[in-house]
Amino acid sequence: MKVRTVRYIIKEGLKNAYRNKLMSFASIAIVTASLIMFGAFYLFTVIVNYNTQAFKDKLEMEVFLKPELDDAQVDRIEESIKANGKIGEYKKVTKEEAYEKAKQLLGDDGKVLEGIDASFLPVSFKIKLKDPQDSKEVVEQFKNMSGVENVAYSQKTVELFSKVSYWVRVISTVLISVLLIVSMFIISNTIKLTVFARRKEIGIMKYIGATDGFIRWPFVVEGVIIGIIGAVLAFVVTGNAYHALEVRFNADVLNMGADLFTFVKFRDIGLQLIGIYCLAGIFIGAVGSLISIRKYLRV
Amino acid sequence: MIEFRGVTKKYPNGTVALKNINLKVMKGEFAFIIGSSGSGKSTLIKLILKEEDATEGEIHVNGYSVSTMGRKQVPYLRRSLGVVFQDFRLLPNKTVYENVAFGMQITEALPREIRRQVPMVLGLVGLSKKANVYPSQLSGGEQQRVALARALINKPALLVADEPTGNLDPETSWEIMKLLTEINHRGTTVLVATHEKTIVDAMKKRVIALDRGVMVRDEQKGIYEDESKDGQVHY
Ligand SMILES: Nc1ncnc2c1ncn2[C@@H]1O[C@H](COP(=O)(O)OP(=O)(O)OP(=O)(O)O)[C@@H](O)[C@H]1O
Ligand SMILES: [Mg+2]
Repeated sequence: MKVRTVRYIIKEGLKNAYRNKLMSFASIAIVTASLIMFGAFYLFTVIVNYNTQAFKDKLEMEVFLKPELDDAQVDRIEESIKANGKIGEYKKVTKEEAYEKAKQLLGDDGKVLEGIDASFLPVSFKIKLKDPQDSKEVVEQFKNMSGVENVAYSQKTVELFSKVSYWVRVISTVLISVLLIVSMFIISNTIKLTVFARRKEIGIMKYIGATDGFIRWPFVVEGVIIGIIGAVLAFVVTGNAYHALEVRFNADVLNMGADLFTFVKFRDIGLQLIGIYCLAGIFIGAVGSLISIRKYLRV
Repeated sequence: MIEFRGVTKKYPNGTVALKNINLKVMKGEFAFIIGSSGSGKSTLIKLILKEEDATEGEIHVNGYSVSTMGRKQVPYLRRSLGVVFQDFRLLPNKTVYENVAFGMQITEALPREIRRQVPMVLGLVGLSKKANVYPSQLSGGEQQRVALARALINKPALLVADEPTGNLDPETSWEIMKLLTEINHRGTTVLVATHEKTIVDAMKKRVIALDRGVMVRDEQKGIYEDESKDGQVHY
């Protein structure tokens, strides 16, 4: 195909999209609606995955020693933590620090601690693993170590988080695929109406010797234009909604003093979102056109 | 230019529209195909354009073996000849100029060539002034002249017309016929299917008559009615 023909095809596609304003408008509305739903699933998946990962990264275990150990015994245990290759970083929590923290946690009820000495509290080590996968193994090691009272570790929560994120991914993938197919079907039907209205034109073009490609490509361009416009509109809608939600949700959660679950920052995800929208829009538009014109090319 | 050898066309519903047609139209000829309604004129034209396939026999057009060529080749066969129909078949969303230019665009012609060629052909059919008008704003005669211009734009060696004057009043019909004659004088082979007696009689051109799918007459300088039957009307 020659450059001038490509230019002709693009011009013709643009002209047709403009000329069939009503149909184009209907198709754009459908593309936009499907992409918004598609985007909602997508964003939800991204948020869940992000939080699962963040949670895993933040994950610590805390090893509590028996309160009666003397400094030398505590030092020996600290040495063994330093030597352990599976441990990334650790922090020692002294008896005094533990006492302060307990006081803070209890707040007004701090009076309970009056008369109690910090020496009754255990020394502990907060430990971050290099790889959360190793957690089980490391926990066992510490539990069997003499001088260790117990090991706190939110194993169950991690597993739950991973499971939830897995299922969110599976369900989203299924729903997104169904949505894509349904919208492609609707679009191809809408375009089919346009093609039907222009079947006479298609016949005339064939009579005077236009090849199938020459007739088909302007329709595909038309579909792609509709897809891109739909993608941009969907992005404007989802982008704004997400941004507003993100700001409010994150502020609210921060007020609570927790940071267990947060929305991914919009600026970290916006580019990715518009890219995915455009690809999906172009795909839906092009395939929809190809499907709907096939029948009418057999003249 | 055109050759039919033992061509029979049977439609899927069983209608036999053409029976064992043998026909040769030479380069530079002007020929009418006549016959009453349903005699098979349009079917014959459709076979030339490969809109329909012959059930039996061989067809050659412009060096293409129409009966054996593949689907992919059909556009090239159609470009090699000009076609005109009773209902004009112009693209409603394109101006007169664009309609004619479209005939060249499909061949991927240079824009420079298109800009040079289109006004020339529009001049030939006397429509230079209407170049930027849409078909719906033209009279039937004018629309047919646009169709003619489009048919001629690629300088085809053969022009095929199915009842080109079927929707036109007598005066306009004559204008179109004059144009066809002129085109023929410039060397293009012309084949016209029609059932308009006055035109055929006055033009004194070759006449090929069909009757219920059978070729019943082929005369140089013929008239519409069969002289051998004592003036008895025989369509
Ligand atoms: N697609 C088709 N399917 C079945 N039969 C057809 C088809 N097209 C034409 N016929 C039949 O074939 C015969 C010849 O039709 P054709 O259109 O060739 O006649 P015609 O000479 O052009 O008539 P007219 O002068 O009315 O245009 C007719 O009996 C017609 O009913
Ligand atoms: Mg006919």
